[in-house]
Amino acid sequence: MPQPIRSDPSTSGQDDRLIAGFAALAIAIHILEAAFPSPLPGVKPGLANVVTLIVYLRHGLQMAVWVAAMRVLVGSLLVGTFLSPTFMLSVTGAAGALAALAVTGRIGGRHVGPVGLSVVSALTHMSGQVFVAYHLFIPHPALLKLVPILLTAALLFGTVSGLIAANVLRLLARPAAATA
Amino acid sequence: MIKAGDIFILILAVAGVGATYGALWAPRSVGHTAVITVDHQVVKELPLGTDVELTINGAIGDSRLAVDQGRIRFIDSPCPGRYCIHSGWLSRTGQVAACLPNGIVVEILGEEREYDAINL
Repeated sequence: MPQPIRSDPSTSGQDDRLIAGFAALAIAIHILEAAFPSPLPGVKPGLANVVTLIVYLRHGLQMAVWVAAMRVLVGSLLVGTFLSPTFMLSVTGAAGALAALAVTGRIGGRHVGPVGLSVVSALTHMSGQVFVAYHLFIPHPALLKLVPILLTAALLFGTVSGLIAANVLRLLARPAAATA
Repeated sequence: MIKAGDIFILILAVAGVGATYGALWAPRSVGHTAVITVDHQVVKELPLGTDVELTINGAIGDSRLAVDQGRIRFIDSPCPGRYCIHSGWLSRTGQVAACLPNGIVVEILGEEREYDAINL
């Protein structure tokens, strides 16, 4: 359930450190994933989105936007895809996923948990990327043939990411974990 | 851990993703007409709606073609290699089968031409 701890637009030093820490985590996952070969272009687990989701649920949308933006920017610089088509797709995907989180979180409120949010954001992420890929890079009908497979992958990975996020959030919510 | 809204979203998502299979994996647009050329001259434009068998006279003899359920193929040809026959059924816009020894080419015309290859 989205319960933003902070909602004021000014980010304090505490928040900056949180953003930096979470962004570093997301970037590390992003790069690890980039190193793995993918069975199909465009399909990867997107575990970095777990971080975005957790930040969104624990610290609100604004922090999540920061973390996602840092991840996309720094991640692309480190992997070497900055301003390449991959980067454009990354930006679109991240923006779509965040928009989906915001809208679903707003509408669903406390009835929607990490799994639902993750599935919606994964599907939006993938749809946004396919849309941009189709209109900017590969305007070919064959790409549309790939859409069902890509969306199926997004659905599966979205569910898995959501379950991971739910578990992490549960562990983070424990008092003992707070000191760690 | 999993809430009612999550289940609702999952059901919607599965239904939605399933729907894309139906919408995007439906059969492609079938061609409408087969154009048969002999020695670069169009000798026949054949609608693929009606099933027929026909014989076309080429450079070295008669080739036989068959139209069946919106598809067309060579069924016999006097050429040595029989590549035209092995090309099989043509049904999609832009598909071509040719019997070069006999000088006969069959091509499907339709609304939207598809690429036969794409290189990125």
